[in-house]
Amino acid sequence: MTKIDGAAALKRRRRRTALVGWSFILPNLVGFAALTLVPVGATLLLAFTDWNSYDTPHWIGFDNFQRMWDNDNFWTALSNTAWYAAGHIPLTMAASLGLAVLLNQKLRGVAFFRTAFFFPYITSLVAVAVVWNMLFSPDAGPVNQLLRAVGVAHPPGWTTDTDWALPAVVITSVWRDMGYYMVLYLAGLQAIPAELYEAARVDGAGPWKRFWHVTVPSLRPTTFFVLVMLTVSSFKVFDLVQVMTEGGPGRSTLVLSQLIFREGITQGRFGYSSAISLVLFLIVLIITVTQFRFQRRSER
Amino acid sequence: MKSLVGRPVRMVTAAVALSLLAVGCGNGGDSGKTADGKTIVKVAVWDYAKTPEFKALIEGFEAKNPDIDVQPVDILAADYSKKVTTMLAGGDNTDVLTMKNVTDYARYGTRGQLQSLTADADKLDKAKYSGLDSFDLKGDYYALPYRQDFWVLFYNKDLVKKSDADLSKLTWPDYASLAKELTTGSGSSKVYGTYHQTWRSVVQATAAAQTGGDLLSGDYGFFKKQYETAVDLQKAGAAMPFSTAKSQQVTYDAMFTTRKTAMVPMGTWLAARLLQAKAEGKNDVNWGMAPLPQTTANGKAVTFGSPTAFAVNKKARNSAAAKKFVLWASGPEGAAAIAKVGVVPSYTDDAVLKTFFGVKGMPADALSKKAMTPDTVKLEMPVSPKSSDIDQILTEEHELVMSGEKSIDKGISEMESRVKSEVE
Repeated sequence: MTKIDGAAALKRRRRRTALVGWSFILPNLVGFAALTLVPVGATLLLAFTDWNSYDTPHWIGFDNFQRMWDNDNFWTALSNTAWYAAGHIPLTMAASLGLAVLLNQKLRGVAFFRTAFFFPYITSLVAVAVVWNMLFSPDAGPVNQLLRAVGVAHPPGWTTDTDWALPAVVITSVWRDMGYYMVLYLAGLQAIPAELYEAARVDGAGPWKRFWHVTVPSLRPTTFFVLVMLTVSSFKVFDLVQVMTEGGPGRSTLVLSQLIFREGITQGRFGYSSAISLVLFLIVLIITVTQFRFQRRSER
Repeated sequence: MKSLVGRPVRMVTAAVALSLLAVGCGNGGDSGKTADGKTIVKVAVWDYAKTPEFKALIEGFEAKNPDIDVQPVDILAADYSKKVTTMLAGGDNTDVLTMKNVTDYARYGTRGQLQSLTADADKLDKAKYSGLDSFDLKGDYYALPYRQDFWVLFYNKDLVKKSDADLSKLTWPDYASLAKELTTGSGSSKVYGTYHQTWRSVVQATAAAQTGGDLLSGDYGFFKKQYETAVDLQKAGAAMPFSTAKSQQVTYDAMFTTRKTAMVPMGTWLAARLLQAKAEGKNDVNWGMAPLPQTTANGKAVTFGSPTAFAVNKKARNSAAAKKFVLWASGPEGAAAIAKVGVVPSYTDDAVLKTFFGVKGMPADALSKKAMTPDTVKLEMPVSPKSSDIDQILTEEHELVMSGEKSIDKGISEMESRVKSEVE
């Protein structure tokens, strides 16, 4: 009798512990499930249907993917997104690392500069886009006035020029993001033991050598994290492009997320736009997995 | 034991009570009635403060129907289409939706997002409505037009007076040389001869209406002459360069009221805006209207335009009251109400026209009256399931031609090949 009672009590206690555990994660889990997990799962299914948000969806197999393969807009958007990533990732990394190294020194007013460089990141994105659009204005914009002043006779048309619109967006996004990644790098820099630098100095290493042989290797975990975050955010870029150029002029800055938005929300082809989302997800997944592989190999 | 059973029961009871309370509250706030028992009709509109006809219609309707409270849902004009599309996709229950253009209407209608008004449309005296046909979706109507705008040439009388051109029968070459003649000054004191808004319709819809070309056909050779005129005006400095207008987000009404341009081809909605600006003391330009310049000088005024309509949301909370509003606004009483603020109604008879030209500040000269009675008004963009895809392509290529990125021929051939290959 007592043995059975004991077992029942144990079971009850376990169930209770589990319930308490669930109750802790429930608020977050409900939000995540309702707003992320279910829509993502739905996207996976919708990609194989012709759903238009109103009528009953029909299963159409790989038709959406076939259509994507044949569609010029998809390839244009994919190549623009890749170009954006190719510009945004290295430039942001270089700029944020450079800033972090500069602001990791004992300077007067260093807190002010750190705050100042972080500011763009917390500024409203629409405001950033509008102001940079003005700065890049081909005739009256300060950027081109400066270029003319230093002797560039025909400065680029920036957002009004198909060749320069994407670089203009990249410059704006680097400016906006570098403060955030600078903070990550600063944290990484402050974790490097001072002894390493002292030892290097004793061995006769100059500032440049110390940077390459002490700072850069010690920052590898931070760099990896920054790289992964930047890759994901570059492939997902939407808001800045939408406000700055709306994909124009022509299709010169059309990116994948914008195409997804246009096909889904504007044209109501949710099946097709889900298929594009799925492809975008797979691209990001493959790149991130590859990055993790490389990271693990270089750690060995 | 007792307490172990009791606690869950109490908790469940509390949860049920709470959720009932929540549901109760939800219903209370969502009954579609005001505190004093009026039926609420929500109407999606754009730029409420700058678009006087909405206020005129709402106030006129409420005066006749004191038991209904019409509440505007104000949306930024530039975002209107996207916002309404998103609202409908999300199951929003705004009762009445203003159809800003026929392309969007066709999309909402074919998707089944609007209530049918076919029976009501069949009862109307169709001869008195201009633009009603545009809402015919294979025999069904899901919206009724209350205004019909079309394009005319607005001009600054003081600036144009210097020339002896006859504005009543301009051809496009006449217009181009007039624009060049009227261009003066440089830098910040520059006054352009004319201003072309960056929309593709300025060139493309004009060409389609006046040459009989079809914007959905995929053959766009008929754009060529119109593009040549537009690009030439920019090159000559008689019209603001496209890229400047685009990057600085220049607005046509500001260009006109600040005397930066002598002329501007634009839809008749500009008249109401100019009147309103004058009333607010923001516009003292002495302006008039002339017929849109023509491709062929045969004395006929051919222009394009698009009607604006009201539709009832399929998920409307108060369908009956919403429908009542739509019928009133598109009928003679609505027409009289908006003509009073200088807006061209879809329903027209002599009385309505008289009201329109009787508005204080409305130019009532013979030329303006001629401008208001064109011989033919073609639809700006034909309605078809392909319209919005084609619109996207034509807009993108228009940008490239006007900003000088592509030659006119290259742009037109690109439009043709893209429309043929990308639109199913």
